Formats: sequence, C-alpha cells, structure tokens
Amino acid sequence: MHVGIIFFLIILGSVLFHIFTPWYWTDIASNWQGMDDTITLTFWIGGGVFVAVCLFMIYCLFKFSYKEGRKVEYKPEDKKLEKILTWATTLGIAALLAPGLIIWNQYVNVPKNALEVDVMAWQWGWQYRLPGEDGKLGTTKVTNINDENPFGINVDDPFGRDDILVQSDYINLENNKPVKILLRSVDVLHNWYVPQFRSKMDAVPGIVTFYWFEPNKIGEYEVLCAEYCGVGHYAMRGGVEVQSTKDYNVWLSEQETFQDLIAKNETLEFEDNKLAKNNNINLKQDIYKEE
Amino acid sequence: MSDEHENKSGYQAQSSETIHAQSSEAITGSGSGIAPDMDYVRPAELPEQDLYHPHSFIEKWVFCQDAKVIGVQYFLTAVFTGIVGLILSWLMRLQLGFPGLAGFITAEHYYQFVTMHGMIMVVYFLTALFLGGFGNYLIPLMVGARDMVFPYVNMLSFWMFFVAVVVLMASFFVPGGPTGAGWTLYPPQTILEGTPGHGWGILLMLISLSLFVIGFTMGGLNYMITILQARTRGMTLMRMPLTVWGIFTATVLAMLAFPALLVSSIMMTLDKLLGTSFFMPTILKAGEVLEYGGGSPILFQHLFWFFGHPEVYIVALPAFGIVSDLISVHARKNIFGYRMMVWAIVGIGALSFFVWAHHMYVSGMNPWFGFFFASTTLIIAVPTAMKVYNWILTLWRGNIRINTVMLWCLGFIVTFVNGGITGIFLGNVSVDVPLSDTYFVVAHFHMVMGIAPLMVIMGAIYHWFPLVAGKMLNEKLGKWHFWITFLGAYSIYFPMHYLGFIGVPRRYYEMYDSPYMTSGVGLNEFISTAAFIVGAAQLFLVFNIIKTMKTGKKAEQNPWKANSLEWYTSTVPPEHGNFGDRLPVVHRWPYDYNVPGAEQDYLPQTAAPSEVAHTEVEKT
Amino acid sequence: MSDPNIEGFELEKGFKGMAKDTGSDQTMFKGVHWGKAMMWIFLLSDTFVFSCFLIAYMKGRSSTPAEWPNPSEVFALDAFGVPVPLLLIALMTFVLITSSGTMALAVKYGYEKNRKMCGYLILATALGGLTFVGMQAYEWSKLIHEGVRPWSNPFGAAQFGSFFFMITGFHGTHVSIGVIFLFIYCYKVFAGHYDKGKRGWFTKMKGDYVEVEILGLYWHFVDLVWVFIFAFFYLW
Repeated sequence: MHVGIIFFLIILGSVLFHIFTPWYWTDIASNWQGMDDTITLTFWIGGGVFVAVCLFMIYCLFKFSYKEGRKVEYKPEDKKLEKILTWATTLGIAALLAPGLIIWNQYVNVPKNALEVDVMAWQWGWQYRLPGEDGKLGTTKVTNINDENPFGINVDDPFGRDDILVQSDYINLENNKPVKILLRSVDVLHNWYVPQFRSKMDAVPGIVTFYWFEPNKIGEYEVLCAEYCGVGHYAMRGGVEVQSTKDYNVWLSEQETFQDLIAKNETLEFEDNKLAKNNNINLKQDIYKEE
Repeated sequence: MSDEHENKSGYQAQSSETIHAQSSEAITGSGSGIAPDMDYVRPAELPEQDLYHPHSFIEKWVFCQDAKVIGVQYFLTAVFTGIVGLILSWLMRLQLGFPGLAGFITAEHYYQFVTMHGMIMVVYFLTALFLGGFGNYLIPLMVGARDMVFPYVNMLSFWMFFVAVVVLMASFFVPGGPTGAGWTLYPPQTILEGTPGHGWGILLMLISLSLFVIGFTMGGLNYMITILQARTRGMTLMRMPLTVWGIFTATVLAMLAFPALLVSSIMMTLDKLLGTSFFMPTILKAGEVLEYGGGSPILFQHLFWFFGHPEVYIVALPAFGIVSDLISVHARKNIFGYRMMVWAIVGIGALSFFVWAHHMYVSGMNPWFGFFFASTTLIIAVPTAMKVYNWILTLWRGNIRINTVMLWCLGFIVTFVNGGITGIFLGNVSVDVPLSDTYFVVAHFHMVMGIAPLMVIMGAIYHWFPLVAGKMLNEKLGKWHFWITFLGAYSIYFPMHYLGFIGVPRRYYEMYDSPYMTSGVGLNEFISTAAFIVGAAQLFLVFNIIKTMKTGKKAEQNPWKANSLEWYTSTVPPEHGNFGDRLPVVHRWPYDYNVPGAEQDYLPQTAAPSEVAHTEVEKT
Repeated sequence: MSDPNIEGFELEKGFKGMAKDTGSDQTMFKGVHWGKAMMWIFLLSDTFVFSCFLIAYMKGRSSTPAEWPNPSEVFALDAFGVPVPLLLIALMTFVLITSSGTMALAVKYGYEKNRKMCGYLILATALGGLTFVGMQAYEWSKLIHEGVRPWSNPFGAAQFGSFFFMITGFHGTHVSIGVIFLFIYCYKVFAGHYDKGKRGWFTKMKGDYVEVEILGLYWHFVDLVWVFIFAFFYLW
C-alpha cells in the first residue's frame, strides 16, 4: 500500500516541480520561438505519457498486490490491444517529429538577406569578422594567421580588404536583422552558443560550419563555448550586444578594417626596423636583463 | 560432416522411446484423450559437451573455464571499476555543488574525473557487467547448456578484460595523469596540449579500449554460439527467456559496433604516436602551425557514434530482458505480448545502427542528415514504448509480490520512461539544438542508461543471489537500499534537466559568475548532496551481502517459484556442468504463471504437457 | 525435405517452414560445428573492422585538400628497365589467390582423412602466405626508401601513406597470424592429432579435421579482404 503512495507522490512531485520550477528557460531573444513551442508540445505529449504510464502502474500496485489464491488473468497476447497501442504511439511520435523537422528545415535554410559573421575560435577565445561595404567576406586560410593578419585573410583576395575585424570576445549585432554565423576554428572543436538565441553549432577546424538566427530583443548576452575544448573550456566565454540599428551603425563605424590593420602594421614595421637598427645593442642588453 | 567423427555413444541418453513410455503412462492417469506423442521432443542432435574439469585451485578459481565462475569474475571486476567511477562522480559533484571546498580539484583534475567516470561507467562497468557478468552466468543455465561452447576462449575473454582494466587504472598513475578529453575523446583536442593527460593518459585509454574490444569479441562469440547452437532439447528460440534475448541481441550489436571503436582507437593512436593526420586538420597552436593537416575530425565522430549509439542499447537491451523476467516472476503472470517483446528487442537492435548521427546534430556535419536521423531516432521510440506498455500490462491483473526485486523493477519503469521521454526531446533534431551539450543531455542519459539499468542490476542481484550464493538476501535492508537509492537518484537527475533548460553547458568546471546561472547554485548543492547519499547508500548492499553470507537464511531450490531453467539445476548453487547427469528437456515457454487449471501458480519449463494435461495452455 | 544429418526432422515448405526451422530447438544452423559457426560470426565482425577502415579511407581521401598520389605511378615496378604499373601487386594477388585454392584442397583431403595430402597442401598454403608477406615487406621497404612515411610522402596527400601503411599493415597482420596457424596446423596434421582426436595444448578440446576447414574459412576471408584493398588502393 505505502509503496503505491510513495510512487504516486513522486509522480505528483515531478508534475508540481515542472509547473512551479524557478529554473526554466531564459527569455528568448531570437526568432527560434518554434523550438520552444516544440519543446512545450513534447512536454505535453511526453509528460502525459509519463504520467499515464506511472499512474497505471500505481493503480496495478493498489489493485493487484499479492494475495494468496488471487485469480490471475492468463492471456499471453492481445493482438488488438497491441495494435491499438502501436498505432497510437506512432501517431504521437509523428505529431512530435513533424514540427521538429519543419523547424529544422528553417534552421538549415538561411535567409538571403542574412548578415554573414565570421566567428573564429581558438583555445580559448573568440574573435569576429564582418563583411565591409562590398557585403562579402574575404577568403581565409589557417596558415596565413600571424600577428599582422590575425584572421588569416588571403591578402590577394579583394573582398577581404574591407572586412571589419573585431579582435575581441565581444560583438555587437543589429536588432531584427538575420545573422548567418560562419564558424571556424584554428585548433580544436568549439561551439558558439548564446542560450537566449537557442541556436548553436560546432566550430570544426578545417571546415566552415554555419547556422543562423535573428536577434529580436535589445540587450547584452553571454556567449558560452558549448563543445568541450580542453582545460579552458569553462572559461571560454564572450558576449553579444544586440543594438538598435542606429546604435549598431555607430559601433560599426568605429571598427577597424583589414585595410586599416595592414596600414597600421606597415607603419609599425617601418618603425620597428628603424628601432631595431638603432637599438640593436640595447635590445641585446634587454635580453640579458630578462634572463 | 563433422558429426561422423563424434562418438555416437556421447549423444544425450534420452531417446524418444523412453519419453513415449512416460507420456502414455501419464495420460492414462488424466484420461483426457490427448494424442500419445504430445510430449514428443526431437532426439538430441548434439553430442554431450566435452567439459574440462579443473584440477587445481588456480584452474578452479583463477584461470577457470566454468562460465559461472567467469561470470562472477567479470561481475566483481566490473563492480570494482564501478566503485572507482562512483568515487570520481563524488569528486565531480563536490566541485560542482561546492566549488572551492576541495581545493585539490583543479580544472585539469575535474576533466580527468569526468572522462574516466564516463568511460568506466559505460564500457567497463555496465557493458562488462551485463554481458560478461550476467551473460556468462545466465546464458548456459537459461538455455540448458552445460557451459559456454568455448570455455577456454571464454576464460581468455575475462583475462583480456582484466588486463584492459589494469591498463585503464594504470593511467591514474602515469605522468600527466589519465586523459581528460571527455569520454567521447573528440579529436583534435584529445591528443593536443591543452587537454589533461594528452600524453600517456590518452595512449593508455586507447590501448585499454582496444584490449577491451578484443576481449569482448572472444566472449561475444561464446554468448552468440551458445545461444544459437547449444540450446537444450525443446528450447526453441521463441521459448527462450527474454533475458537471453536481450543479452543475445546486445551481443550481436556489440560484435558489429565495437569494430568501429577499435578502428577509431587504432587511428587515433597512430595520430598520437606517428603523427599521421587521420583526424587532424591543419592546426594553429600558440602561433605555430602543427605538423598535422588534411584530416577530418568529424570522421572520428561518425566512427565513435557508430559504436556509441549501439553501445547504449548494448547496455539497455540486457536490462530490458532481465527486467521482463523479473516482472513476470514476481507479478506471477505471463509476460504480456512475448512475441512483441522479442521483435521489439530485435527491432531496436537493428534500428540502433541507423541513428548514430543524432549525437551529431550540431557537430557541423551536413545538416541534411538531420532529417534522416531525426526520423529514424523517433521511429525507435515506437518499439521501446511497446516494451513499456507490455511491462505495465504484465502487472495488470497479476498477483504482484511487492518485494525488493519488484521494487527495483518499478523503479526501473519510472526512471526508464522518464529518461525515454527526454530522449524524444533530444532525438527530435530542432529541439536538440537548444538542449544539446547542456545538462539536459547529462540528466537524460544518466536517467535512461545510468539509473534505469542500475535499477535492473540491483533487482537482478536480489533475484539471483539465492542461486549464486545459496542464501536469501535480507528483505528489510534491501528495501532501505532501494528507497534511498531510487529517491536519491531521481532527485539527482530529475531537477538536473532544468539546469539544461537554463542553458548550463555540460563539462563546465564552474560557472557561477554568469548572471542567469547563479540561480542554479542551490540546485547544484542539492544535487551534490543527494549524490553523496545515493553513493553511500550502496553500503546497504555490501552490508546485506556480508550479513547474509554469515547469518542469512539458506535458500531453498527455486525460492521465487520461477519457471526458467536456471532454477532447476541439480544443486544450488549449480556446479560445473550445471544439470547433473541429464540435460533438462523443455516443453514450454518460461512464462506459464497462473495457468488456468494448474495446481500451482507456476509451470516449470520442464513440465511435460502430459503431466499437466488438464491445463489450458495458450502459448508454448 | 528432411535434413540428412538429423533423424526424423522434417522441414515445412515456404517462409513458414524457414521461420520454424530457424527458430527450432537446440540449434539454429542444423549440423553446423560450433567452431565453424564461431568463425563465421568472427569474420562478420572482422568484416566490420575492415569496412570501417575502408570507409574511413574513402572519407579521408575525399576530404583531404592535398592531391592524392597516382597509384599506378607510385606502385610501379621496374621490370628489365621498363616501369610496369602494379606488377608486384598483381603477383602478390596471384600468390594469395592461389594459396586459397590450395587451402580449399587441403580441406577436401582433410575430410577424406588423407593426412599426407592435407598436410602438404596446408604447407603450400602457408608458404604462399609467407611469400605474400615477404612481397609486402619488399613493397613497404621500397616505398619507405622512396620517402613515403605514415605522416608524409613526396607524392601528395600525407593521408596516402597513413592509410596505406595502416590498412595493408592490418591486413598483413591478419595474413601473418594465418601463416603462423597454418604452420601449427600443418604440424598437427602430420603428427596425426586430428586422426587420433588428441586434445589441444591450451584449449583441451579434441582435435578434428573440421579445424582445418575453420582455418580455411579464415584464410579465404583474408584473401577476399585483399581483393577489396587491392581495388580501393591500387585501382582507384
């Protein structure tokens, strides 16, 4: 008797926990409301099945617990019942699968007007690249990466010259404008994940992966790495700020382009060379000092 | 052809003539006018198995060829690894629930604990326990064989497993410590600096896995051939207990899935040792381009999950089978829809080879795969759901003994249904996107392939302990053990799903500086506390076993009044050869409980129809 | 239809009969020796190992950005000053396939209890296998001499060497193990262990000529795998 009651309390507790839980979704800030809706639908159907199965089990415990000489049904099979259950389950599964696939179809088809954002990941940090006025990102290569070309852009590629470089873990995005995240990694797997945007995808070294979303809520959000990438995984965080078009454009105009960077590097290099020549002896002394 | 060389006199002694004589005698008694050959069972087509009896202590207890001893050896070794895994999980929960309390747990250590806990529990604990432990002990007994068909290979299988465990445990003591690459061992990070144990640790892990696969292959061949080719007379496939079906299908899966693990281990070992680039693309590390290039990290994930997903069912299917038997015995009712159960096991097994990429929806593979794998994954839910229905329909109108064994079964149903439903979330591709790599996943797979199979293991221990040790475990201690474990485990993993909803990613050493995660602090403390209690509660079982061995009640033969053959051995516990002079002859399926017209509420598989001629048996 | 091996066993016709036969008691494969069934299932498992290797190879070859070396140039052999593509491989394949033939004959004579013929044919098979391994060693050393390494090679994609050495090495290991067992079985045949039913050194199982057939299954499998490796490495 008490066994059934305890099991009943567990089921009741689970349902109540689900209803009153303080731990639930962060407020959604992108267009993927459909994912949340499918989850809710799955909760209704799946949760219903869970409760129904458990309650039936508890009913059996109350009704048929051991009694010497109880008359037990002997019925190895019931084709009709099995058929009904199979079809009902299939129907329920189909009802869950259909919306899932429809949303996945949206997820893999990126809208044409989406802004391409190159997200580059490494152990353990992020940086971003936006297309310049030509609206296109330049091609890149891992082996091109060095101090003067932190994104590894092919210098010969004319599309790359005006690319806007954001050498920071933080990036700004324009509200209500679809974004296509192009993920690339220079070392191991990473995953650019903002819980409020609901979407994610691994960054895989060697290939470029993508996904898209449309931020629709102004605010600051934390970026988390969601694919284990070594000891610093938990500390590999960044940030996104979704801004109105006006604020976004102000921010954008303050960013450096690849062209600017090259120019700056050339000046630096020139000065470096001059310094190096003049201060050769000094430099050597510095090294001794450090030792 | 080979039969020609066999000694004809070695054939099983019972000829059909003697059976005829017995049956006609019985029928005269009942007078129901049934045809005189109703007890007919085809004569033996197999020669008596040639057993090698041990001659010394070492042959009897160390390098033993008796499947029962090997089963116990497997069981104890697996439990040892399980205890190591349990301690590691405590350390992890210590860090997650109370960060900073144990100062010695650095991020490196934490990731090493995560990795070793995962690998140990999935491969070295659950797989070895179900197939090596229960498989070895139960298969020959349940199908009515004297032993496994290749006892020597079976013995090698255990020792190979033992060496694999030793190599695995050795990695705790090598420079750099065990690998901290996550149990999925995703390259490139697995073998690069920046991951703990990227030197010796990962090498030993890969070697240990390869040894495990080799050892398991030897055992698996035994399980399969014993079930296919060494059943006793009358034991048709559709009369086998579901335990055997579950273990058999899981073994088939293992034989076909472990090759992928072996291949990926070999390839990664070469990447690590020789500098090949199977899984290694061009990599920039600390400003320098490494000597790798042109490999595909996703290839590893495909290979790994081609093993990894069937692996889930390698653990789950034996659990399904065992729990079906336990429920049927203790509900005193035939399992409902036996044929459906068998086909569900086989169907789940077959489908499990076509769903692997649902672990990779956000891995960067071609997104169009998502449609296919989401569909196959959700199709697999149908046979699984049918099994659940059949378990609860078995309870319905039964005569349920609510003892410790049944409690574990009920606990299994609750946790398995819970974990199965959350599986539908994760299998449904676009729902998986927000949830993957969060604590929702951790909670899901612990519920469905951690806790649920563990419930079955515990139930099976309480059920078969009288057979193995000849003594009955204490019911009262068993019930305490169950309630603390079940309530504790449920309160660990049920709320953990909600951490995933908040968005807490898995494999985070700590993350309380994130604004919306701080709300999870209290929950994490609660979960950790529950984890400590559940782990400690397993001492009930240890204490129970010690107490029982010392002062426990001696078990009678067949204490649960079960039907299957393992309870009808010549002695309890069974000795080498299992069944004495004569192998049993099987006349019915193992689920004839409370058959109308029968005197007792059970009919052993060996009960000939003429002995119980007045019963109304529907299924044989 | 009835099974000649088993007295009084009648098969029903059609699908139902097949299902009934498959699910019938005692054995699923009627009259099949345990060891033989075991070898078949082991080979099925091993097929998956080689399939994984070859699929990985296909994936690796198609996804590496560097150019794949041209096999007919890399594997060419100078015969009297003329480079002949695939000469050595053709020879290796010929030797291995021939050894399959001798193995099949050995099994036949084994069942006929023709101890001598059986033994000599197993010996021939073992020598064929040894020749194959030797030629493979030659091919490896030639490639290594030309600068092909598992991690790099002068002809193109580094994965070429990686996959080549790994897969042919894995296959070569299979052949070598087979050769070792062939020699052991050769000894056992000549010593008459299978005629007397002498127990094995380790397994303590009684010897029987069926063991020759079991080893034969393994040997044919190794040959079959070679055909696939041949096709994928040298002809693609």
